[in-house]
Order: sequence, then structure tokens, then C-alpha cells
Amino acid sequence: MQSFFQTLISGLSFGAVYALVALGFSLVYRTMGLVNFAHGAVLMIGAYVASTFYLSARLPFAVAVPTAMAVTAAIGLVIERVLRPLENKDFDLMLIGTIGAGTVLEAAAILTWSSSGRGVSSPVQTAPFDVGGVRIPGYNVLVIAVTTLAMAALTLFLQRTKQGAAMQAVAMDHEAATAVGIHVGRSNAISFAIGAALAALAGSLVGPMLYVSPTMGDSLGIAGFAAAILGGFGSVPGAIAGGLGIGVIGAFAAQQFQGYSDLVTFVVFTVLVMIRPTGIFGERTVNRA
Amino acid sequence: MSRRPALAPLATALRTPRSARAGGLAVLAAAAWLLPYQLNVYWISVADVAILFALLAVGMGLVMGIAGQVNLAQIAFYGVGAYTTAILTTRDGYGFWTAAVLAMIATALTGIVVGTPALRVQSHYLGIVTLGLAIAFIDWITNAPVTNGDSGISGIPAPPLFGIDLSSQYLYYYLELIVLAGGLAFGLFVVHTPLGRRMRAMRDDPLAAGAAGTGIRQLRMIAFVLASVYGGAAGVLYAGMIGYIAPETFSIADMFLLLAMVIIGGRRSLAGCVIGAVALTIVQQELINLAAYAQLGYGLVVVLVVVFAPAGLVGIPGRLAARYRRWRGHTGTSAVLEPFQPLPAAAPAGTPGETLLEVSHLARRFRGLTALDDVSLTVRAGEILGIVGPNGSGKTTLFNVISGFYRPHGGSIALSGRPISGARPSQVSRLGVARTFQHLRLFGNLTVADNMLVSLDRTRTWWSWRYLCHPAGVWRYDRRLKRRAAELLAGFGLAQFAGALPGTLPYGIQRRLELARAIASSPRLLLLDEPAAGLNGEERSQLAAIVRSIRDSGVTVVLIEHNMGLVMSLCERVIVLDSGSVIAEGPPDRVSRDPAVLEAYLGKSAAPDTAAPDTRASEASQ
Repeated sequence: MQSFFQTLISGLSFGAVYALVALGFSLVYRTMGLVNFAHGAVLMIGAYVASTFYLSARLPFAVAVPTAMAVTAAIGLVIERVLRPLENKDFDLMLIGTIGAGTVLEAAAILTWSSSGRGVSSPVQTAPFDVGGVRIPGYNVLVIAVTTLAMAALTLFLQRTKQGAAMQAVAMDHEAATAVGIHVGRSNAISFAIGAALAALAGSLVGPMLYVSPTMGDSLGIAGFAAAILGGFGSVPGAIAGGLGIGVIGAFAAQQFQGYSDLVTFVVFTVLVMIRPTGIFGERTVNRA
Repeated sequence: MSRRPALAPLATALRTPRSARAGGLAVLAAAAWLLPYQLNVYWISVADVAILFALLAVGMGLVMGIAGQVNLAQIAFYGVGAYTTAILTTRDGYGFWTAAVLAMIATALTGIVVGTPALRVQSHYLGIVTLGLAIAFIDWITNAPVTNGDSGISGIPAPPLFGIDLSSQYLYYYLELIVLAGGLAFGLFVVHTPLGRRMRAMRDDPLAAGAAGTGIRQLRMIAFVLASVYGGAAGVLYAGMIGYIAPETFSIADMFLLLAMVIIGGRRSLAGCVIGAVALTIVQQELINLAAYAQLGYGLVVVLVVVFAPAGLVGIPGRLAARYRRWRGHTGTSAVLEPFQPLPAAAPAGTPGETLLEVSHLARRFRGLTALDDVSLTVRAGEILGIVGPNGSGKTTLFNVISGFYRPHGGSIALSGRPISGARPSQVSRLGVARTFQHLRLFGNLTVADNMLVSLDRTRTWWSWRYLCHPAGVWRYDRRLKRRAAELLAGFGLAQFAGALPGTLPYGIQRRLELARAIASSPRLLLLDEPAAGLNGEERSQLAAIVRSIRDSGVTVVLIEHNMGLVMSLCERVIVLDSGSVIAEGPPDRVSRDPAVLEAYLGKSAAPDTAAPDTRASEASQ
């Protein structure tokens, strides 16, 4: 039982990071119909920027992370401008176009920070909490707390602010949104920037848990995308549920099947998607003839 | 303007006659055959790898570009082919060719497994699922004892072939070249004959393809099996060429490289896929020592091609030619719509007046909304039945249930006494029900003639076995279909548009094409969903004549229409739907005076006991 909870805690911590990644995917997808496979690479850039400020510039972690978020948000604006012709286009083109953008970012990272990775020391040095024999590392608590805060802030932004409402409107029908005077281009740019900032947040949080390297975004991006699909693509609560789901499945698969954890995770994922293609919180869509 | 002389020969060159194309092909074949004499040992191995990627790319082109099914597991098919060959030859002592055949079978089975999710999900969902399965495969080969994990399998024998030493990279090139040429020829044959035409139709509009008689599910599986067989063949050849395999050859990065090859070359053209594969392999080898900069350049090229040339490299000449024509002031085609030739008259199937379609107590709900509520009606052979009703009264839903798009939640539908409720659209189509759509659903990237050919092809999907056992029969069948399509297009006055894409034609012509496409499936029952929507007065009277001629040729017609004038002049009988229920039925002039009908259209206060003029009812419904 103890080991069950231990695995669950580790699954939830990674799940919280996946949820942030999934949220970036979903936010960009629902506002502009773009599946952004460069998201993983943006995350990696965020992780590098945050760790550079934290390790080399010796800024406090709490300052390094927002700085990284601002930097990647700016990068996000550039990517959005370049890939704008692909928005709402067919999936094949978006897929390879955004993968291309991701490749550029990875190459830029190799040229800037070299291809060997770096470890990041944990900013939380306290002893793990002991809850009924289950040891919870302080950093994991921080990750889950920061993720929860970010989710809450995003939900408030989408529901309580004018810009957020405009973004919701664009998500529902971008032509109708244009007709009522919403600047769709600006709204898309903002949501892309927010998505990129979320990626940077995920990247800087996951840095001390993994290892920061130019290819770290590949697997995190794929896991985050799978999480978004599992939860219901385009849905905010879906991204959270999907992220935690993928995190927990992965943690238990790693505990039970060691090396075969990817195999088990993705086979389970495939079966779940086939059972419920629209995901946990996805809308059922009806084909209209 | 210096562009003029530069582009003029290019534009003429693009209109290549058949003989010139054959000549070009011969030159290309000779060049490929002589290539090894120009290459050193290093570059011949690059050429060998390029051919393998070309083979993989052709498979990707078939499943993604032609059939529209996102497949990010091609690298796994490649891996299954290679690993099965390796395991069977080194561990189990099979001969190379026996192992190769078994490996191809294993890959085809893998193709079926990977394709199964396509029955439920599409687009990005299918993308992540196939990618996930590829990751699962890579995870397995890196860990499993049978694949020898990270260290891989060495000592795979070169394939023996009548004493030819295939351990020589030069001679192996020819083996690969022959396989690629065969694979490409077979792929092109598939693309341009009924199977590939159906795949392209499915890619453009799966709903309309189903209504035209295409078994969507089977077709998706066939597409994945085709892709997997190309991947498997490449894997077998790779194992025989290198003699050693390890997991790093089958990485997700290579999967994306392969995807880039297909998109950059041009995913909708198999030749484009080959060009993309060869081009990117060479570029990659040239830049191998500048890894990071090469990666930067590769990423930028991918982004630029996708943004500025979405049809890939093979699409560029066509775009330049189009731009040149526009610049010269050519304005589209000069083709004209010709008059409709009445179809040969024939008696309807069965005795006139007999019940052809029987709908009883049909119900269909969407969540809380009841779209159809206990709808019962009969359609008699040889009549033109009108279905009218206010917007949202369930008319189109009724058609969608009859043609198999929606399953009914209650009640039954029978065609000539045979129950068809719950049947798939393709089955309903094969039983003789054709339909058109309220909002046109033509296959946008298929020519007008191809749109007709999809619907003319009445074979079942499993007929495609003939591609393996009897290709000559397929070719003859295709010739027959093309003759029939030409006749039908001429009859509908569309002959001059045969080579055009539907989207380039005026709306009225597109409407007529959709009608012609429905007739091409030789239906007994034709369902027309607002065929006059968007037509001008003259086109409407042409439509009335066409519909009458269709009825006189023995096809029973059911017509949803808001234009009361058309309904009045065409239909012998009218059924009125309101809020999902039949509220009136009878001859048009009597129904139009029915108080319940007037109330449905105009509201309670506006329904006097005196008859309202028909025109007012029709205006209210617009």
C-alpha cells in the first residue's frame, strides 16, 4: 500500500507537468485550430532559459521561471506569425510545419547551449514530508502547487476578463468573432504566447526532476499531447485530467514493467482513445450531412 | 519583364503529351540504371539508403496523401520487416527469402493492428495514436531479449540470388531499384484505378464517399496494410543490405524525417514522395558534418515549404504555370454547360405504385432534442415524393437515417421489404439508394470525371483482391467504367468539364454534377436534399426537367425542397414534417391548404381557415 501511494505521488508530480504541457496544446488548438508540435521544443527552450538564469546568473528560482516564461512567450509570438498560414488548415501540413519549427528551436538550443545536457539542482532543499510512511519530496509539493495556481489563474483569465472572453469567442467561431469586432489575429497571438509561457513553466518545473537537454522536449511534448487528447482536446479540465492520467499510468507502468513503461503507457492510451475518442471531457460532435 | 521568356517554355513543357512522358520515363530509367557507374563506395551506400526511404515514402504517400489517414507508425513497419528478417535468419536458421516472405506477412498483420484505431478516430487523434504505437514498438525492440535490446542483431546474411553476390553495395542497388520500380508502378496503378480513386474520394469527403458506396472501414484498413507492406519491404531490404540492425535506426526522429520527405516532395503524388525521399537523403548526407547547422537549415526548409508550397516540390511547376497563365491574362476554361439529354425511359423496378421504401415509427434523438418522433411514411415505386417542412423539422435527419449516416433510436426502414435500418451508408448505397446533399459534398481534389467514376464503381471493397491476382481484369474494368462515365457526363451536358476540379466550376454546374454523380450509382431510389438551393430561375426549370427524366428512367425520387413552386410542379404527393413528426400528407394543392401546415409555417395566429396563397408559405420558409 505504501509503495502504491509512493508511485501515485510520483505519477501525480509528473502528471502536473504533463497537464501544463497539455494545457498549452489545448489552448492553442481551441483558439486557432493549430496542433502545435513545436510545443515540446518551446518547453525545452524554457527549461534552458530558466536553468541558465537560475544556475549561471544565480537568480532565485522564483525570478528565473517568470523570466523564462516571458522569453518563450516572445518566441511564441514569432512562431505564431510564421505559421499563421497554417492555422485551421489540414493536419498533415500543421504537423510537419510545427515539427519543422521545433527542429529549428532544437538546433538553436544545440548551438547556444551545446548538445550535452545539464542537471539542475532542486530549489527546495527541505527534507521530504512524511505522510503515513509515504515520503513526499518538498519539490513535488511545489510542482503540484504551482501547477494548481497556474490552472486557476488561467481559468480566471478565460472566464473573468474581456480578453479571455474574446479568446473563448474565437475558439467557438472565429468568423463570428471577427464579425462582432474581435481582433482574431491578436487574440490568437495572445493565446499562443500564453501557451508558450505555460510550456516554459512546465519546462522550468521539470528541469530539477529530469535533466535539461536539447531533446528533452520530444518525449514531454508527445506525453503532453497524448494527455490533451486523453482528457478531451481543447478542454481545460480535460488537460488537467489527461495530464494526471498519463502521469499516473506512466508511473505505475514504470513500477510494474520497468523498461517497458512506454510500451504499456501507449498501448493503454490507444485502447482508451478507441473506447472514448472524444476524451474524458470532450464534446461529442455529430457529423452533419 | 524578363520573366516572360523564362517561363514560357516551362508552361508549354508542363502540357506534356503521353509520348513525351514515356520518353522522359525511359531517360530516367536509363539514368537510374547507369548511376552506380558514377558513384564511389560511399555514395552508392547513400543511394541504397535513399531507395529504401523512397520505398517507405511511397507507402506513406499511399496512406496519408491518397487515403488521408495520418500514419506516424511507418518507421515501426520498417522495423517489423527488418527485425523479423533478422530474427528468423540468425536465430531460427531460415533462408533469407523465406524469412522475407514471413516478415512481409508479419508487417501486414502489424499494419492491421496499427490501422484498427483508424476505424474510430481520425486526423490528429489518429496521429498521436499511431505515433504512440510506434513509440511502443521502439520501446519493445530496445528492451526485449529476442531483439537483443540496444546491441541489436548482427550476422544477417545477404540475400542469395542465382549466384549474384548481393553483399556488393553496387549489385544490391539494382535489387533495390527493381523493388522500388515495381512498388512505384503498383502504387501508381492503385492510385489511378478504382481502389485508389475510392481512397482519394474518402480522403476528400468520407461521408459522401460512403453514400457513393465506398466501404470506409475496409478501405482504411487496406490503406494501412498497403503502407505497412511498403514499409516491410524496405525493412527486409535494409536487413539484407546492412547485415546488422539496432534500435537507433528506427527512431521517432527518423519517422519525422520520413514525414518531411513525403510533405516536401508532395504527399498527393507518389512521384513526389520519391523525389522528397531522394532529395532529403542527399541533403542530409551532404550536411552530416555540420550537424547543428544542418538541423537548423532542415527545419527552416520544412517550415518554408509547408508555408509557401503546401503541395510540395511537385506542386511548384503547376503553381508557376498557373501564375504564368494568370499573368498572361488567360481566364480559366472556356468550357460551356451543354443541355441535358433525357435519360432512356424505363419502367421502375417492381410494379408502379408498389411500396418501395417503408419507414415506420422512426425515432432519432440528439441528446435531449428529438429530431424524428414516430415518423411513418411510404414511398411508392415510380413517384416523385416531396418532403417539406419548416427549418429544423427533421427533413435532413430523415434522409441521414435512411442513408445510414445516423442509426435510428426506434422504428424501422425497409427497402422493397428488406430491412435496412442500421445498415452502413455503403450498404444502403449498394442496395440502390443514392442521395445528394443540402450543402454540396463533391470530392474537391478529384476531377469531375473521377467524381463520376467513384460513384459508378459498384464493386465491394474486397473486390480489391484482384489487384493481387488479376490486375489485367482491374484495368479492363476501369476502362469500362471510364466509357460509362464519359457517356453519363455527355448526357448531363458536363462533358466539357470532365477534367476540371469541381471547386473551379460555377455553383449551378456543381449542383448538376452532384445529381449526375448520384445517378451514376444506378439507384432505384434517389434522395434529393434541397436540389434547387442557390439555383437561378433557369437552372431551376432545367432541374425540374432533369428530375422528371430521372423518374421516367425508372428511378423513384424523394425530394426535400423549400421552393414551393418546384414542389408543386414536380411532386404528385407531399409529406409535411414539423418538429420531427408527419403533420400532413397528400397532393400538393390540398396539403398547402391544410390548417396544420399553415400553422407550422406561419404560426397559430396567421393560420386562417381560408387558404393562404402558396407563395406566402414558400417565402416564409426561405
